[in-house]
Amino acid sequence: MRFQIPEHELMGPGHVACPGCGAAQAMRYVLKALGEKTIVVLPACCWSIIAGPFPYSSLQVPLYHTAFETAGAAASGIKAGLEIQGDTDTTVLAWAGDGGTFDIGIQALSGAAERNDDILYVCYDNEAYMNTGIQRSSATPWGAWTTTTPVRHFKNRPKKDIMMVMAAHKIPYAATATVAFPDDLVAKVQKAKTIHGTRFLHILSPCPPGWKIPSEIAIRLARLAIETKIFPLYEIENGEKYTITRQPDGVPVIEYLKFQGRFKHLTKSQMDDIQDMVEKEWENLLSKTERSH
Amino acid sequence: MKKRKYPKDEIITFKSANEMPPLAVSLGSMRWNKTGSWRYIRPIYENKTPPCDEACPAGEDVEGVQYLCEQGKFEDAWKLILEEHPFPGVQGRVCYHPCEEACNRGHYDEAISIHAVERFVGDYGLNHGLIPPRLSQERGHKKSEKIAIIGAGPAGLVCAYHLARMGYTPLVLEAHPVPGGILRVGIPSYRLPKDILEAEIEHIIKMGVDIQTDSRVDRDLLLKDLKDFNAIYVATGAHESRNLNVPGEDASGVMSGLQFLIDLNLGKKIAIGKKVAVIGGGNTAMDTARSVLRLGSEVVVVYRRSRAEMPAIPAEVEEAEHEGIPIHFLATPIRVITDQERVVQMECVKMELGEPDESGRRRPVPVEGSNFIMDVETVFTAIGESPQLSFLTEDIQTEWGSIVVSDHGETSKKGIFAGGDAVDQPRTVAHAIGSGKVAAIAIDTFLRGKDTAKIAASVQIGQKGSVSMERYLRGEIRYNASKVVRFEDINLAYFEHKDRVDLPRADIEKAKQSFVEVNSGLPESAVTTESGRCFNCGVCNMCENCWVFCPDISISRKTDAFGYDIDYDHCKGCGICVEECPREAMSLEEEQK
Ligand SMILES: Cc1cc2nc3c(=O)[nH]c(=O)nc-3n(C[C@H](O)[C@H](O)[C@H](O)COP(=O)(O)OP(=O)(O)OC[C@H]3O[C@@H](n4cnc5c(N)ncnc54)[C@H](O)[C@@H]3O)c2cc1C
Ligand SMILES: Cc1ncc(C[n+]2csc(CCOP(=O)(O)OP(=O)(O)O)c2C)c(N)n1
Ligand code: SF4
Ligand SMILES: [Mg+2]
Repeated sequence: MRFQIPEHELMGPGHVACPGCGAAQAMRYVLKALGEKTIVVLPACCWSIIAGPFPYSSLQVPLYHTAFETAGAAASGIKAGLEIQGDTDTTVLAWAGDGGTFDIGIQALSGAAERNDDILYVCYDNEAYMNTGIQRSSATPWGAWTTTTPVRHFKNRPKKDIMMVMAAHKIPYAATATVAFPDDLVAKVQKAKTIHGTRFLHILSPCPPGWKIPSEIAIRLARLAIETKIFPLYEIENGEKYTITRQPDGVPVIEYLKFQGRFKHLTKSQMDDIQDMVEKEWENLLSKTERSH
Repeated sequence: MKKRKYPKDEIITFKSANEMPPLAVSLGSMRWNKTGSWRYIRPIYENKTPPCDEACPAGEDVEGVQYLCEQGKFEDAWKLILEEHPFPGVQGRVCYHPCEEACNRGHYDEAISIHAVERFVGDYGLNHGLIPPRLSQERGHKKSEKIAIIGAGPAGLVCAYHLARMGYTPLVLEAHPVPGGILRVGIPSYRLPKDILEAEIEHIIKMGVDIQTDSRVDRDLLLKDLKDFNAIYVATGAHESRNLNVPGEDASGVMSGLQFLIDLNLGKKIAIGKKVAVIGGGNTAMDTARSVLRLGSEVVVVYRRSRAEMPAIPAEVEEAEHEGIPIHFLATPIRVITDQERVVQMECVKMELGEPDESGRRRPVPVEGSNFIMDVETVFTAIGESPQLSFLTEDIQTEWGSIVVSDHGETSKKGIFAGGDAVDQPRTVAHAIGSGKVAAIAIDTFLRGKDTAKIAASVQIGQKGSVSMERYLRGEIRYNASKVVRFEDINLAYFEHKDRVDLPRADIEKAKQSFVEVNSGLPESAVTTESGRCFNCGVCNMCENCWVFCPDISISRKTDAFGYDIDYDHCKGCGICVEECPREAMSLEEEQK
């Protein structure tokens, strides 16, 4: 089996992501898929640091830093500006973390989506506020340790279903992806590129320090997230049509949890609870898929 | 759109505010930032030994052959085998293929059909008239030392082949009127057609080997004619059939199975009875029985242990049974009954398996009162063969009837080397080939005054004693040959289950009536599919995973050679490339700082 990702690099070495950072890989693949005619809009998040300080950038496309809560709005504005100049084919790529998407940035995103502004919004989801030192977000999964959900009070609310939120906006395209499946990721970006309106991509991005994992197994974990069904790969078109893009092997979820320090405290029965949640969500997804085809 | 350029990869310094841009825009890349300094472990490309390579006593680059066949590069695959030995067509038919047993893919679904692929490659070479690869002028320059090789079996011929490649002109002395040893006079043509063997021996002769047939070496000849030879390799095999040691054995209807095969293979007329018993459970027994069947007689095999202990190649036993030959397990003859010197019956006793003996197999013990009688006219003995070594001088040490040698084939007498069935090693063609290679290296290093043990160790493949002639003759490649890749080392995420392609089953009814080859080979398309199943354990095949998954854009394809370069200025040592390499062709080293 060989991957078929595009050759051309629009991201260079010297960036300051942690070793093994999934967010860095995600950006590399997305830019490969989008090509040079891209403007990145970046709210506060790890990536604001990864790209490098003034007067440098590790990306070879323009990158616009903006405030934490404004990715959706800023991207809409930049798109409008380009259109006024007659530029209709540059992709405006809003690139935000899970905090900047699920939490503080959700109203700007919701606004843009409701207007169906012609932007591609990517949320690279490392499941916490990593840049400021691993605080809980609404994307943090049930059971996880963060500095604001310490072991004795680990997060006991499920991860927010952002895909359903986005589907509710009836945007033309929303999809999940992860860095262990670059072909699937690139294909989704390329597909999104051909569509007009608000497109949303939710990329699970392993974070070695935040997940408390050795950097070398980051890709293995991203793969296990899919194979255990805790993070399925699928698309939603026009808020209705669900398509699963990779059939998971159905590995028990413990195989995913056990490598991560952030889940180290969980008991067997808590892990079983997670397995039940996973099964239920998966059944949900299956029935939505069946209903929409 | 204007082409954007970031001209600067270095640190940018502004000498005054005037030099700064009016807005905070980036003017250069981050390339100046040498994130390699963060690293405390370093990924490296380091090929390792696949288990099939280690398991091959002939030291073939099995994985390399699969890699080339997958791409349809059959000529290159043939040449790759020829770097190690000149017999792919032979071995693709008669090898007991321990490589398949060792194949990591066997733990996943089924082992690669390595044996069938080799046969295809061997036939491809012959059908396309390929010529064995030659060495550089420098490595293969003519050498004047005189080397004699006694016996033209696989051990002797392989040794001669490599010595000829190195520039020597070895003289091979063979007792029989034809070269090939057991390959020619033992194994019948329904398993190994003569034209295949002859064509491969032709390659050896063309390499500059002088084979003198009808030249049995006795002590006289050894002491006189070979006196001034600089090195001698003894590869005379094991052709003395062991006796049954039962009454009636001297009757003319009791014969050596191997001698029968030799006569048959040399085209002599042999009279055999209508009812034949073959005693033994090895390859000789199977080949004798199957040949008897083809001559039109009724045949039964009598073996004193059970199937599990049979020394014959399992596939051979299976084919014999498939052809309808009954095997009488757990029985042994105790008397041959004659009537006026003619064999008429044989009395046997049933056996049961007792404690393990020195060979580790359970010792058969007779069951009292279980005697039975069978009608037979001819009895073939095939219970083992021993070397015939009476021509050797006493200063060449022997033990239990075999020549004593070092790991490199050196006998107790300087300048005399030995290998194959004449020494104590498993009796297979692959081992004979392997010993011929080791001896060629030992003879070359001996004649060139080099440290044999050290050099032989440096060309070992894994831990089981096989050596790589390619590495010996063409120099060292960076390669961790002592580390063998295990199934746990394979990243299975990158492989899909796929059925093994096997050799087509022969039409038995037709096959057992003639000495025409029983099995046909694989078609080309099946070979590429099958070798495409190979994991390529431990060997980079440029699958791109390292390049694909590098978060730090620090891996690039080499522009002038096979493989990748790592940009250690920027590689942070995350280890993902090593982890996601499907085949353990990369390693992590601690950073020396
Ligand atoms: C019937 C049979 C079937 C077999 N089938 C298989 C098989 O399918 N697969 C497998 O892997 N192995 C098989 N084997 C084992 C294999 O053939 C041997 O291990 C192998 O041939 C040994 O090679 P060698 O070069 O040491 O000896 P040989 O092949 O025995 O060759 C020795 C040569 O030396 C010559 N010679 C002997 N003495 C002298 C002398 N004094 N002067 C000059 N020449 C002399 C002989 O004539 C002979 O040609 C089989 C063996 C037998 C007997
Ligand atoms: C309004 C505002 N509040 C807080 C911050 C501090 N801050 C910067 S990055 C960040 C966390 C971002 O988390 P997320 O969006 O998940 O991205 P990550 O760092 O995990 O990549 C926070 C809280 C800020 N920059 N702006
Ligand atoms: S999969 Fe290929 S390299 Fe690995 S053991 Fe089998 S044949 Fe050899
Ligand atoms: Mg985050």
